[in-house]
Amino acid sequence: MKGFPACLEDLKAQGRTLVGCFPLYPPLELLHSFGLTPVVLWGMREDITSLALSDRHLQPYACGVARCLSELVISRGHELLDALFMYNACDTLRNLPEILQAALIRDGRELPLFRMHIPAVPLERPYAASYLKDRIRLLVRELEAFTGRPFSQERFLKSVSLYSRRRRLCGELEKAAAEGRFSFADCAGIILAGSRMPVEDHIPALESSIQSAGGRDVGGERPGVMLSGILPPPMILLETLEHSGLRVAANDIAALKRSYAYQPAETDDPETYYEDFYRNHYPCTTILPSADRRVDTIRRIVRERDVKGFIFIGEKFCEYEYFEIPEMEKMLRNEGVQVLQLEMSMDDILNLDAYRTRIEAFSEMLCQGRQCKEA
Amino acid sequence: MSSEKSPGKFQKNTSGKRLSGIIANDYLTLHRRASEGAFVVWIAIIVPAELFNGFENVVYAVPESHAALCAGKGAGRILCEKAEGSGYSTDLCSYARIDIGTAFDGGKDSPTFGLPRPNLLVSNNNNCSLLVKWFDVYHRAWNVPHLVLDIPFCYEDQKESDFRYIMEQFGTLIRTIEEMSGQKFDIEKARESVKLSSEALKEWKRFLSFAAHRPSGITAFDSFVQMAPILTSRGSRQLLDHYRMLADETEEQVKSGIFPVPDEKYRLLWDNIAPWHQLRKMSGRLADLGANITSASYTYCIGALEGRYDPYMFDGGDPLAWLARLQNFSVCPHGLNLRGKAMKEVIAKNAIDGVIFASNRSCKVYSLMQMDQMRHIREELGIPCIMIDVDHADVRKYSEETAFTRLEALLEMIESRRAQ
Repeated sequence: MKGFPACLEDLKAQGRTLVGCFPLYPPLELLHSFGLTPVVLWGMREDITSLALSDRHLQPYACGVARCLSELVISRGHELLDALFMYNACDTLRNLPEILQAALIRDGRELPLFRMHIPAVPLERPYAASYLKDRIRLLVRELEAFTGRPFSQERFLKSVSLYSRRRRLCGELEKAAAEGRFSFADCAGIILAGSRMPVEDHIPALESSIQSAGGRDVGGERPGVMLSGILPPPMILLETLEHSGLRVAANDIAALKRSYAYQPAETDDPETYYEDFYRNHYPCTTILPSADRRVDTIRRIVRERDVKGFIFIGEKFCEYEYFEIPEMEKMLRNEGVQVLQLEMSMDDILNLDAYRTRIEAFSEMLCQGRQCKEA
Repeated sequence: MSSEKSPGKFQKNTSGKRLSGIIANDYLTLHRRASEGAFVVWIAIIVPAELFNGFENVVYAVPESHAALCAGKGAGRILCEKAEGSGYSTDLCSYARIDIGTAFDGGKDSPTFGLPRPNLLVSNNNNCSLLVKWFDVYHRAWNVPHLVLDIPFCYEDQKESDFRYIMEQFGTLIRTIEEMSGQKFDIEKARESVKLSSEALKEWKRFLSFAAHRPSGITAFDSFVQMAPILTSRGSRQLLDHYRMLADETEEQVKSGIFPVPDEKYRLLWDNIAPWHQLRKMSGRLADLGANITSASYTYCIGALEGRYDPYMFDGGDPLAWLARLQNFSVCPHGLNLRGKAMKEVIAKNAIDGVIFASNRSCKVYSLMQMDQMRHIREELGIPCIMIDVDHADVRKYSEETAFTRLEALLEMIESRRAQ
């Protein structure tokens, strides 16, 4: 798979107007409806090999997502991106806009920036929903000014339909992997590629993968594990996991499941659409009002998918994730699920053997003498 | 506050002794009233505590303040370790770890015996969203309702739409307490409380203003210690009286020629939360070098609007409006430009020679702008700056010698600049 910067180069060569969106759940449909190509700036850990520029602005205890994003924007944002979008997804990301703008301005390369505050209180409260709708209206006006074209309900509905389709296909592909009909490593790679690819191109890629999965269950008997974290681990670790005889029966990864699990009702009204989107979003540590639903959601999935082991892929320094781990671990142990906690920092990408050993040991524990080798 | 005979060292004078009494009394009163049936609210520091004074029998506790106290009293490490033993990562904020370690061990090892169990948790997300995650731990462990105040981050002055949004949330907070406690909110009581807070903050700024004197009448360490009752006694006559006396006493000392660092050669500014476990050591050692951290962004922001220094005074109108407008009286909810604006004002006002950016692993929101802020201050004002690594409450993540190597280098840079 092409690296993140190379993908953006290709898109720019096609004459597209790219909006670099800060993670995690930006309003992609709305940006798309204005003829823009939104890309979500995460999943670059294996593509960004130097953090020299980012390190001039961020201390090393910023998470890898923020550091990679910063490196890309500062080094090549001016040539690969046409604008930036961010919302208050987390404390680290909210601190970044001025830092990045200052770095770009210093080099005479300012990028237009769209900012939005998404309520962190339940949208069931009328004033919170009203506040969100105001923010959406404001964003629409800003996008109209930026693109020079008026908002179109028809175009928005088309964009919504495309993203709906993409989410459904992501779910289908994940299901194929969960049933052992498709490699989860491949599944994760294909889904994650959507963050750097136009939705129109991502849909056929997903369809093709689903078709290739076929109907034969080639590994469904292997012990099922569930992965959780912000990003999937490096591909080599996913491959290790599958080679060691485990099957990824489910995931709770922000860049994967949490991004496509909930599909709002299709409508041509962006205010209604995003109220539904953020109110009913699959639980995520960063969507504060959803936190109470998270333990129950994972418990349900663990039971439904017969999960035997749970692997936390900790994004080093992501406190949102780490605050919830002890409670989650307690619930999982009560459910009889074994837990493995891994922690990935930027430096770990060069030293993965320790992780491989731990995954293999975890696999041996789950298999306990059963035939667990790769089908 | 320090005395002339012991430069930079903490020797309690009248204000210091009174402060100890206030804090001890505040925690004792909190425990007593809770045991007598008061409705207990745990809050994040920016939550408008004055609102609770609008009720007959509501008391509040501030876990962040309690954690700082624990760290200052040397209990930070053992309490952090308790939380870590329960599975909480060492990368989490040390305030949170101290507080979780205390709460889940029944208050053992806490100098205040912990905090009384809450009836309601109220956090906000403009200082940091992690407070929400931290309070959620108790919310789910104890099945206590948790209300979040969602305060939009400020890249510029607070917007009217954000102000209205905050006001609506205050309404929710009041109704929630009324429903849960069965008590009726009295806005006149809240108004009186807000008036007292506003006056107290004016006195607070008067106290801080003695940092402009040469030599400075205060150290930032004094302000770190003296800020405690803002968190435990907000909206009270006691707070106003204390800060008035504190400012009066400081003024008297300045007039009498009593200064914390009489041989002050270097006037420094501190950017970040106080290093609670190092107050005595750091102030004393700096004083021996003729250096005084006279000012701190952590304490000069209190009572001011975004990017400003002067207090935002209550005009006698709607107390909720004043509280809503002042929902960003901390540095963390401010963007880079706003922080820089206030910092430049203080550097000029207090004739600062150098700035210490304390990079604090436990507070990313405070720290993750500092590298750029440092560059801006250095380039725009030509002021020498350094960055040192600290953790506000976990002493295990601090190296005194490494920090002082850089602090001494800062003093050398100042000397070098003067020589040019």
